[in-house]
Amino acid sequence: MSDHDRVPDPAGTLARRLAEERLTRRCFLGRMAVAGAGGAMMPLLAACGGGATASPVAAPATGTPGPGTPAAPSPSAEPTPAPTPEGELYVYNYTAYIGEETIPSFEQKYGVKVTYDPFDTYETMTAKIATKNSGYDVTFATSVDIPGFVARGLIQPLDLSLIPNVANLAPEWQDPAYDPGNRYSMPYMWWTTGFAYDTARITEDLTSWAALWDARWKGKIAMLDDYRETFAVALIRLGYSVNTRSDAELDEALALLQQQAPLLRLYAADEIAILSNGDVWLSHAWGSDVYQVVAERPTVKYVLPQEGGIRGSDTMVLLAGAKHPVAATLFINHMLDAQVSAANTNYIGYMGPNLAAREFIDPAILDDPTLNPDKAALDRLQELQDLGLDLEKYQKRFLKLKAGA
Amino acid sequence: MIRDRRRDAVFLLPGLAWLVVFFAVPLAIIFVVSLGTRDQFGGVILDHLGLQNYHRALEPDFVPTVANSLRYATLTTVFSIAIAYPIAYWISRYGGRRKNLLLILVMLPFWTSWVIRTYAWMIILRDNGVVNGILGALGLTDGPIQLLNTDFSVVLGMTYGFLPFAILPLYVSIDRLDPSLVAAARDLYASGRAAFWHVTLPLTMPGVIAAALLTFIPAIGDFVTPDLLGGAQTTTIAKVIQTLFLSSKDWAFGSALAFLLIVATIVGTVGTLRILRREVIG
Repeated sequence: MSDHDRVPDPAGTLARRLAEERLTRRCFLGRMAVAGAGGAMMPLLAACGGGATASPVAAPATGTPGPGTPAAPSPSAEPTPAPTPEGELYVYNYTAYIGEETIPSFEQKYGVKVTYDPFDTYETMTAKIATKNSGYDVTFATSVDIPGFVARGLIQPLDLSLIPNVANLAPEWQDPAYDPGNRYSMPYMWWTTGFAYDTARITEDLTSWAALWDARWKGKIAMLDDYRETFAVALIRLGYSVNTRSDAELDEALALLQQQAPLLRLYAADEIAILSNGDVWLSHAWGSDVYQVVAERPTVKYVLPQEGGIRGSDTMVLLAGAKHPVAATLFINHMLDAQVSAANTNYIGYMGPNLAAREFIDPAILDDPTLNPDKAALDRLQELQDLGLDLEKYQKRFLKLKAGA
Repeated sequence: MIRDRRRDAVFLLPGLAWLVVFFAVPLAIIFVVSLGTRDQFGGVILDHLGLQNYHRALEPDFVPTVANSLRYATLTTVFSIAIAYPIAYWISRYGGRRKNLLLILVMLPFWTSWVIRTYAWMIILRDNGVVNGILGALGLTDGPIQLLNTDFSVVLGMTYGFLPFAILPLYVSIDRLDPSLVAAARDLYASGRAAFWHVTLPLTMPGVIAAALLTFIPAIGDFVTPDLLGGAQTTTIAKVIQTLFLSSKDWAFGSALAFLLIVATIVGTVGTLRILRREVIG
């Protein structure tokens, strides 16, 4: 990855600051709520990173849709004939994970009254929608969960005729592996997982995951407190698939992580805080989170390691039992509108697979390799797949790792 | 006589109802869940009940974690009593008219959420925190000392948190101690130290035991402090249980560990009380 030097740009800086404030608040609220409930780890991660996710091949990060690209004829297509939405809509989303004007503009356009409720942790949301009677119409699910949600009947198929803006998505995202043909979900935003380090403390150029095993930084290293992400790092180093179901490979990964454990300061729920305040110099991290760290500690640099890392995405889904399915589907279409999508990105700092939106996105975000990695970097990344009950193989070993056995 | 006893039993009812509804029933639920298995999405399957979770719980994997928990809880108890005893003694003997005010001050921290207070310790203890700032400014240290995410920070956080639970029972038992007994000991040529060891401490032992139980039991079950102030080297069994419920979504196994922890705590507490009653109280 290239360095973070940027030409000072007052407007861009302001936009970044705003986005950072939103993001920080989103994470903070989630974290405080969870800490109040007892400091859960996974929900924290899910709340701020989006959780483990499967995603199809990511869109080329550079380049705007040219005449040859199969983007929409118009970046803000309307369904024809115009459907009649219900008068209300209930949206359930992460705290501050949406642009400021997105809801008002939807309300104005369709005359729908939107009730927008934030959830503090991903676990809260999944628990609530599991009742199939949550009262919400639309929520935001990590793509890895889509097959499971479909199997459990938690989400219902989308009326694709009401979502012409699907054409704004990069072609690979119109038929993702986790949800062929986007029958049940529409992609929202994506992220990557790599590591971050403070260049003021560690002056050499780090490019490999091996740095997280370097005894010179003992006590100044953190790993994410997320069993999938942490095992993924070990599996990548060993050259195995991050979705392996092999006990032998996972045992090797566990052994590698056990070698690392004595060097670690902590398995972090909140890598933003510990990188920002300097408690650790080197941490396994989500790229979008590092965006916030840099605001406080500009010497911190995000690395997508040469061996590869993880990428993933969030999606929008229509819940089973939704009482306002037409309004909900129109809302999803609205979110895929090029300008709305760009406004969301400009506000929250997350990039999405919306090709048509790119011309409206703040150049400061587009040029930031932390938020918008290029194709070569993305191609080195793997996606985390839903492994069903085999996830237990990871969970058991992670417990063992953390128990110090 | 019989009627009196019956009337007395009525007074037991609220407490008994409380115990059944909020302890016995939940404990029974935990036990039933602990015999089940998990499904793919974190649900509990109760079709084939068995002891498989208990077999897994007794694997050696969890020995270091349990040992860690016992170590933290023991250190917390020892430090809490060592700090609480002089405070309780001072309030009782020298508090005078301000006794109630001083006791309110002891309980004052409860007015703020424990999580918030633990976050405050994070700010105080971190590498660029208050303590390291002062040490650095005084030139006592070259660079920051790692205080946060260590055994030290976990025991400190727990001792801080549970100190009021130690002070209050100690205060009660010290305050009830008749000062004339100490005076009598002194009259019989006991030194101040001897009077304390042979009169004051034995007579306030019930307070010490109560304080020990009230700090040890919450300390062994505490997961917030190890979570926020601890690090990679400081996992406790309570944290493992928390992980099982929230991120691993394995409620059945989590329930088995929780049930074992509760049973071990009850057995340990009752056993300790028995021994102490025989040895100390007589």
